[in-house]
Amino acid sequence: MLINFDNAATTFPKPPAVKRAAAEAIELFGGNAGRGGHKLAMRTSSALYSARETAADFFGGTPENTVFTLNCTYALNMAIQGIMADGGHLIISGLEHNSAARPAAELARKGRITLSVAPIYPDKERTVKSFRALIRRDTRAVVCTLAGNVTGQIPPWKEFAEICREKGICFIADGAQACGVSDIRLGDGINILCTAGHKGLYGITGTGLLLSDGKFRIKPVIQGGTGSASQSLVQPELLPESLESGTPCIIGAMTVKAGIGFINSTGRENILAHEEKVCSRFIRELSSVPGAVIYRDPAAEYVPIVSFNIEGVQPEALADDIAEKGFCLRAGFHCAALAHAQLGTKSGTIRFAPSFFSREDHAAALANTIKNLLNSGKYQKNY
Amino acid sequence: MPSYTYAVKGEKLLSSRGYPCKIKRNVSASPESCGYSLYVYKNGKDALKVLDSYKVPYTRFYWGGG
Repeated sequence: MLINFDNAATTFPKPPAVKRAAAEAIELFGGNAGRGGHKLAMRTSSALYSARETAADFFGGTPENTVFTLNCTYALNMAIQGIMADGGHLIISGLEHNSAARPAAELARKGRITLSVAPIYPDKERTVKSFRALIRRDTRAVVCTLAGNVTGQIPPWKEFAEICREKGICFIADGAQACGVSDIRLGDGINILCTAGHKGLYGITGTGLLLSDGKFRIKPVIQGGTGSASQSLVQPELLPESLESGTPCIIGAMTVKAGIGFINSTGRENILAHEEKVCSRFIRELSSVPGAVIYRDPAAEYVPIVSFNIEGVQPEALADDIAEKGFCLRAGFHCAALAHAQLGTKSGTIRFAPSFFSREDHAAALANTIKNLLNSGKYQKNY
Repeated sequence: MPSYTYAVKGEKLLSSRGYPCKIKRNVSASPESCGYSLYVYKNGKDALKVLDSYKVPYTRFYWGGG
């Protein structure tokens, strides 16, 4: 039996409605959306639009500013490179995933932008003060995760967004870990929201979203066929097609629509409460394990993710042994160099990330498995 | 219409306000080439005002009466 606590990477299992949506999309929506006028193409186009509407409703956006992407990384790359195309100063938070940090660093390395990293402390006031001090006259955009992917820490992004609004700076949000459990709306000061479809939104892998409030033009980094103005060699300017060159993943979009439907019918607050309960149980059980280090600070807020270590034990080795017992957890640096540098974790951590389908007794069983592995004496010999 | 997305947006906006309309693939060799048109069957001028007021972009408008 596999027990998945790696839902921060991708949620599994998927809700039955998502599986049905994938099957239905394969059966019915086999045309190419926005290309052609025959019945199959029109039916598929209409289905894709309905997925845009659902995502837009969920995040307080509009269908015409809702772009389907391959994943959150693609959405962030489009946003960062598209907004910073003419240069300027960019600030990213110290909790950013490499999906934001690498494109930002690459632009800076090439000398096309200047880059600052805003540290995220457990203390909100200190964080906001140091963030404000980084803003310059030429600051064009800020990229901030709505919840870090290593510990689940929620930075004071609403305060950041408000400062950006005051100064006319584009606020780009990475919602990969927050969407589906936190209440995220474009109206909260977010100008561009990038998120994954396959995590908290319960869609299939290979899905992502970029939603814009339309205030900042995103220059396309990929050009190609959009189904419109085919005789022109100039990329259309209007969203969503300007950022959706090539055939979109219609099956994926339909599963994201179904995943959002699942969240709406279950209740986002209920999903959050359940996952928090599973995390609390895990933390309670793990706290009694000798040498357990849990990366949570009482002053900070978190989404339901728990990063931990056992003193003297390599996280990858422990995760490997846990995996042998049927538990799926991700160890290492979680594609988040900045966040781990801030935590000071030299060998990374092990990340526990439940979904709505996770069970409290499984969290307790995992903690018990860790206890038994430690009691076996294996790590004293090897490490 | 500049894209299928805006054609649907326009269609939904007009249909909900009592303007019968339908999306069709561009049939004539228009300057925009591939794309979609929104055919409005009644009160075209008023329908246009609705599109304008909601800032729904369109590339051209053919007047056929009604």
